[in-house]
Amino acid sequence: MKNMKLAAGILLFGSLWGFSECIIGSSLNELGLPTGAIMTGFFAITFLVFSRLIYHKPGMQLGMGFVAGALRLFNPFVGCHLCSALAIMAEGVIFEVLWYKISFDLSEFKSLNMQISMGIVSAYFIYIGGYIMSQILTPIISGPGLFIENLIVVLPNILSSGLLPALIGAAVLPMVLLIKKIDLRLKDRVYYPTTIGISVFCWLFIVGYWLVLT
Amino acid sequence: MFSGKEKIIPILAMIVLLIGIFSTIYVYATQIETNTIKVNGQDYTLDQLFLIGEIRIIETDEGEKTGIALDDLMSKVGVGCTQCQKYTIKAKDKYQQTVDWDIMKTGILTDYGRVYFPDTAHTFWVRDVIEIEVK
Repeated sequence: MKNMKLAAGILLFGSLWGFSECIIGSSLNELGLPTGAIMTGFFAITFLVFSRLIYHKPGMQLGMGFVAGALRLFNPFVGCHLCSALAIMAEGVIFEVLWYKISFDLSEFKSLNMQISMGIVSAYFIYIGGYIMSQILTPIISGPGLFIENLIVVLPNILSSGLLPALIGAAVLPMVLLIKKIDLRLKDRVYYPTTIGISVFCWLFIVGYWLVLT
Repeated sequence: MFSGKEKIIPILAMIVLLIGIFSTIYVYATQIETNTIKVNGQDYTLDQLFLIGEIRIIETDEGEKTGIALDDLMSKVGVGCTQCQKYTIKAKDKYQQTVDWDIMKTGILTDYGRVYFPDTAHTFWVRDVIEIEVK
């Protein structure tokens, strides 16, 4: 039963993450804003940390990354489908690695200094890790193969591009941790219809729109 | 007393910020400002390239894009055996991508210096192009 609850949670938060990447990310892109930095620094950090706060389960954020990445593949709006999907999946994996040694009650984050620092570290490494993985995997999967010199030359740009998400993450993580004080438990009879209902809505909306446009 | 994590994470955050700041300075300081695009070792202005190459409209997932057909351009700038080569497209901020002929022949270069390909991930869409190197 606990595994079912976790699976529903992965589906819910992964779908919400993917949904926000498609809808909000595409809108930010059209406005010419730094979409990737905002999506990672704000939305990814929020969903990843929030879900960890609620479920206290290892591996959950990894699963969320794959659900969100899969949904991003069907993005009916502008933006790179494959590279973004790969980056999101990588972000889930990197979050798990970074937070592996962090306790599930987040007792390490009592001081604001620690919260801000972890926000910086998490958002920076998640963003540049996702960027690097998409630069490696996209040419392998859909292009002429990986040219390592292209990756080396572009590394300063990647390291530089992580600065904005890091600063956003520094502000967002302490805010997400405030939620720790709110009791968000739901009874089973409400939990499953709510989580599955929201997830189904996200998928139907994105995939349905994608089918209409293609 | 500070535990290990309470020492390491703030230090790591400082290092991360410094890496971000210095790499940003490096990227801006080393950007190449030029009005020309080097194609196969020869410098051209965008206007010259538009006189040389055939104009083509392609359909991308961001709508229609108009520019010089890269397959036609490569032939006209004297690239021999176009299908035997790899093409590295370089941007002013040093971003670069390498494509083979199957991708190259579908692409265009716009009048604002961006390369688009109709059926590839956006990773290959290089903006502010300063060079197309033929390898």
